[in-house]
Amino acid sequence: MPHQRPIRTRRAALGCVAALVAATSLAACSGGGADSSSGGSTITVAHGYTSVEAKEMDKLAAEWNAQHPKTKVTLQFNGGNDSALQKTVAGFTAGNYPDVAYEYGSSAAQLARQPKLVDLTAKVTAPGVDWSDFYPSERQAATVDGKVVGVPALVDNLALVYNKKLFQRAGVALPTASWTWQDFRTAAKKLTDASSHTYGWAYVNDGSEDTVWRFLAMLWQAGGDLLSPDNSKPAFDNAAGLAALTQLHDMAVVDKSVYLDTGNDNYLNLFNSGKIAMLWTGPWDLSSINSDVDYGVTLLPGYNGDHETISGPDLYLLFDHSSARSDTAFKFVTWLTSAKVNLQFSIATGDLPLRKSETSLPGYQQFLAKYPAEKVFVQNLNDIKHVRPNIPDYAQVSTAVGQMVQSVLLGQSSPAAALKSGADQVSSALAGS
Amino acid sequence: MTLTRAQSSRAQGRRPRTILPRPQPRTVVRPNRAGGPRRRVDALTGWAMITPSVLLIGLFGLVPVVWSFVLSFQQNDLQTPAQWVGLKNYRTLVHDPVFLQAIRHTLVYTVIFVPLTLVLSLIVAAALNRRIRGITVYRLAVFIPVVTSTIATGVIFSWLMDPEFGLVDAVLHKLHLPTFGFFASPGGALYAVVIMTVWGWVGFGALIFLAALQGVPQDLLEAAQIDGCSKRGAFWRIQVPLIRPVSGFLLVWLTINALQLFDEVYVTTKGGPLHATTVLVYYLYQEAFQYFHAGYAAAIAAVLFVAIVVITLVQLRLTRDPSEPAR
Repeated sequence: MPHQRPIRTRRAALGCVAALVAATSLAACSGGGADSSSGGSTITVAHGYTSVEAKEMDKLAAEWNAQHPKTKVTLQFNGGNDSALQKTVAGFTAGNYPDVAYEYGSSAAQLARQPKLVDLTAKVTAPGVDWSDFYPSERQAATVDGKVVGVPALVDNLALVYNKKLFQRAGVALPTASWTWQDFRTAAKKLTDASSHTYGWAYVNDGSEDTVWRFLAMLWQAGGDLLSPDNSKPAFDNAAGLAALTQLHDMAVVDKSVYLDTGNDNYLNLFNSGKIAMLWTGPWDLSSINSDVDYGVTLLPGYNGDHETISGPDLYLLFDHSSARSDTAFKFVTWLTSAKVNLQFSIATGDLPLRKSETSLPGYQQFLAKYPAEKVFVQNLNDIKHVRPNIPDYAQVSTAVGQMVQSVLLGQSSPAAALKSGADQVSSALAGS
Repeated sequence: MTLTRAQSSRAQGRRPRTILPRPQPRTVVRPNRAGGPRRRVDALTGWAMITPSVLLIGLFGLVPVVWSFVLSFQQNDLQTPAQWVGLKNYRTLVHDPVFLQAIRHTLVYTVIFVPLTLVLSLIVAAALNRRIRGITVYRLAVFIPVVTSTIATGVIFSWLMDPEFGLVDAVLHKLHLPTFGFFASPGGALYAVVIMTVWGWVGFGALIFLAALQGVPQDLLEAAQIDGCSKRGAFWRIQVPLIRPVSGFLLVWLTINALQLFDEVYVTTKGGPLHATTVLVYYLYQEAFQYFHAGYAAAIAAVLFVAIVVITLVQLRLTRDPSEPAR
């Protein structure tokens, strides 16, 4: 991070005031240029894809440009999707923002306030869009206060990924789709071997959204929810919340069968080196599992037969430069996320289909043949019942819940005490905006 | 570490007066007040030469500083029109438990990091200030952490200090010593960050100290030796007092950097576990760029700015060489 040095002498300060005046006028001159000069209805699409996905994006954009010489698309790498929100907001401040931006679903509500955001509520009802073909959880994530703010771009969800060899070595039966929390806990304990530093399970314990969303899946399975239906107060300070936190507490603190990852970079390496037997993870990690690791995928262990998972749909958000450009942007995004084109993207990258109809296209069998492990994740898409609340204060709510889960995993507080203080903090986060 | 006044005046008392390097009277010829065309051309040339830097500093230094002061009186999410809220952000700060925690963490970090880095840098510099075979290699080795990217350092230390798979705990375990949770433990994470950053900064401090030590006139040391002063005595009584201005510079520089700690926390602990490493700038980042409370974050920045200015002024006064006239 660049450190600014205080300027001390008066003369330097005077010089800087002069410079300030000059700089401001310079900035004023150059400010408007960027928008008008690009002309026509050529649009920019900012995304954070890398490697295979970036290559496929380039290919698709080239395909579009060949077919639409008058409404071309320029792709722009945003430096990584983890900071896409920050980048986009900074772009608004500078008056230089893309027509289309790839954003995490959890950023939707924060960007919904943006005056430049294109309201898609009416647009998605157009006949060519077939909005209802997107999975319900995706549509819900794209909707803030009844307003459609984006188009689903990519969807992930969690399933249980396990290393078969470690199960065989420990003499534990492989996980099934009907596993209960207790089955999961017992297996994790048996798979843990302190002397060889082998763990049954790994949990991302950095207090970020990564910590939170795995907990949310458990909370929903246990019949609870994060917030009340009107998103005005916490709704997890009850038996469901206690059950979920107690499960985490029993595994991490009592059994010590969980590797607590301080960042989110370690667990996959450890899974690859046979130190961790089970992960709760999604399609994005599968491509990084070494080819010599024989792994299986099944549904998350369930509570009273509920194996609900959590999905994290990402979105394409459109920002207004001119109505012509917004039209182009919408046409491009609709094309990009159409069943045929998205399936082509999925076959190339291993990402999940976005639309229900993709699974009945002929190419889908090719997808399954190439990525057999994805089948469970596609199945999951039909069974997702909840989405995270789409509220501007979600980031703070998430921090509060992250702290709560962390305090339990680290054995710093009992599930009941953590639940209470977590609910208090969520309340004040909701009140403080 | 700089010497106390008593020590340094004692050291001065022992200096042989005749060869003591005295502050030279300033011999700069003051230009004629009336000036002439020559002087005006000189002034213009000077301004022309510094204009690019002045513009850049103005644009990227002063404008943001002024803007963030303005922001601190607003409620601003960087997207919708801002609202003026007067001193509300500052009033909220006073009662914000995380902010108060962040101040405590920042102070604890600074109070440990700065002296530790200074002392270790001085020792390393003294060790490197000699003519032996392969000294360049040693000097390079000490300096490498400085040029290593923070991200790389963070990733390596996360692994080294991993409580389960880390080398550090493995060695401690072998030696039957207690092991630590480091970044994973709420009680130890801040100290793990201290270890990591000291490792990263000692090379820088040593480099500056080394340059200063090499600037100490050799004849002073020889004279002291002839008078029967031991090497160690010469180091503490002659070299260290003579490099006082450099120590002062390092003290200020390291303190400013410590108060602005961010990168290392961002890479390793993200302020956790349980806010244990939430320092001021990290909290500021969270408020500004995760919650988009830009006005509130600007208020934190303003408080930090004032604190840094005050602390720096105090340090400069304390470390000023007493033999130099006050400016």
